[in-house]
Amino acid sequence: MKNTFKLALRGLMRNRRRSLVTLLAIAFGFAAISLFAGYTHNVYGGLARQSIHGEMLGHLTLSKSGMRKEGKLNPERYLLSATEVASIGKLIQDEAHVELVAPRLALSGLVSNGRASTIFIAEGIAPEAVVKLRSGGLTDAERKSGMFENMKMRLDPKRPDVVSLSEGLAEMLHLEVGGQAVVLVNTLTGQANALDITLGQSFNTGNAGSNDKFAFVALDLARTLLDAEGRADRLTILLDDANNTEMMRDRLLAKLKAAGFDVEIMTWQELSDFYTQVHGMFDMIFGFIFSIVLTVVIMSVANSMGMTVIERTREIGTLRAIGLKRSGVVRLFTMESMLLTLIGCILGLLITVGVRWGINAAEISYIPPNSAGRVPLLIDMDTGRIMFTFVLMGAVGTLAAYMPARRAAKKDIIDALGHV
Amino acid sequence: MTADLPVHLSPPLLSIRKVRRRFLLGETTIDALNSVSLDIHEGEFLAVWGPSGSGKSTLMNIIGLIDAPTDGEVHFDAQDTRVLDDDELTEFRSKKIGFVFQNFNLVPVLSALENVMLPLQIQGEAEQSARERAAAALVDVGLERFKDSLPDKLSGGQRQRVAIARALVVNPRLVIADEPTANLDSENSRMVVELMREMNRARKVTFVFTTHDQRLLDHVDRKILLRDGNIVSDEVMA
Repeated sequence: MKNTFKLALRGLMRNRRRSLVTLLAIAFGFAAISLFAGYTHNVYGGLARQSIHGEMLGHLTLSKSGMRKEGKLNPERYLLSATEVASIGKLIQDEAHVELVAPRLALSGLVSNGRASTIFIAEGIAPEAVVKLRSGGLTDAERKSGMFENMKMRLDPKRPDVVSLSEGLAEMLHLEVGGQAVVLVNTLTGQANALDITLGQSFNTGNAGSNDKFAFVALDLARTLLDAEGRADRLTILLDDANNTEMMRDRLLAKLKAAGFDVEIMTWQELSDFYTQVHGMFDMIFGFIFSIVLTVVIMSVANSMGMTVIERTREIGTLRAIGLKRSGVVRLFTMESMLLTLIGCILGLLITVGVRWGINAAEISYIPPNSAGRVPLLIDMDTGRIMFTFVLMGAVGTLAAYMPARRAAKKDIIDALGHV
Repeated sequence: MTADLPVHLSPPLLSIRKVRRRFLLGETTIDALNSVSLDIHEGEFLAVWGPSGSGKSTLMNIIGLIDAPTDGEVHFDAQDTRVLDDDELTEFRSKKIGFVFQNFNLVPVLSALENVMLPLQIQGEAEQSARERAAAALVDVGLERFKDSLPDKLSGGQRQRVAIARALVVNPRLVIADEPTANLDSENSRMVVELMREMNRARKVTFVFTTHDQRLLDHVDRKILLRDGNIVSDEVMA
């Protein structure tokens, strides 16, 4: 084996230019895949944090069974009662991995500055819960780049009338911080209910479609407006780690069912259509790029090894004559190919590290589709997919040499020796 | 007790019977060997000679077990080689037969020492042991100073001596040399044949080589003249 390795390594040095060209094809292919994987990994991470912390979906969302499908038509029927909110909240809070249980209450209506009125959609949530949900939403690099800076919003725990309006909505109403407006909402029983509000802060939703109508209000204000004391339409659950999401959903569902509550629990991925769509799109692009690069690598290695085998036919005849079995010939050339591929992948890894460092250090930012703000272009080291690419490329590169090597091994010794 | 018998009375090391070798060249059939029978005994120093196209190389390939006859039998060391599959034949060959080629056929990226180590390592011998045996084989052919040289740094005569060391390092029963002097000048040709003769005498290894240079035939025990695929004469020298 050691001898085969030595022969294979020296075989690569024989035609250095050809080996170098093949090596570079593998290395740049590997780097292209790794960098794109790293970019998508960063995007997935950013979108996940945006969903969980930025949009405050938390990791799990609990509501009465049927709320997602029927709740908008008959909100009162699907609201959790004050008793249910308290009991379910306690059962969940007692579980390990649970960091926060936040009751939420959605509402919509009209908001007016006295001169003009427009519709709004709002989320009622406790100001303390906002602080907790928003913590841990950004990585150091993202924070440094200013990403989500304009998404910051704040509610005042001491003043339920203070609200946060999306930037577009605040601009439409010509409201500055501290400015006052009136909101008009239908209560659960259909009565009109109006209250004064004060603009605490405006924020960017990160989505052009919602940036002119969305608002966050204190849970107490939402309950007062809807006349729904102690009630909530859902509970947002924040966990200590996103990896526990599925496990905790199953556990909580079982626990609540045993306690007699008929509820449904959705994960943040299920609620974030944007995340799922972007993930699906990037996965498809990744698969496309991966296939192209893999094809190029296979063609390069197969071509290189095919030429090598032809050039060394007489040597193969000699080795066969002095005792190398057919399997030994196949092993020799596949080893050579494997070495070429692995060295190419290692070189590709070094290129990845270098380019990644350069891009991350350059602090490049861009505006992605459907986004209201710039996001930094950052590249992660996606270890899982890099390892996968490494193993798959190594295997495919090795197999690419198998056919020419087998053809060489099958050749009659006297024909191989007579090859010119 | 065969060791005490004269060469031609001992059992043959290699015996071929009614061997024919037919090649298809397009739609033409060429009979390179026509029902050739021959015994080669242990310790012989034998030359096969004849004009180009007489079947010398074909005979050497069959004797060296790197080609199979179209018809006929080849027995090596009492083993009927027809019953061996490719792997068994390869293993058999690696242990019992050494090869010296007209074009030396050294691996260009390996040093002289590594080239000589190669057959041992193919057999699975440990590196250190293979290195020691290969170094000793290079001493035997007078090339210990060139052990680290790559083949392209050696003269034609030196390369052929490395090839002889490679053939002998596994202690084979038989060394096949197909036109070993064809690419050498007369002085180097004489030296190579003398070296093979010396090894034949010192190690009792059987040598069979082909040549078309009649001057080299003075060194041999026995010479076989081939013409048109037939043995025309088989002469044992005094």
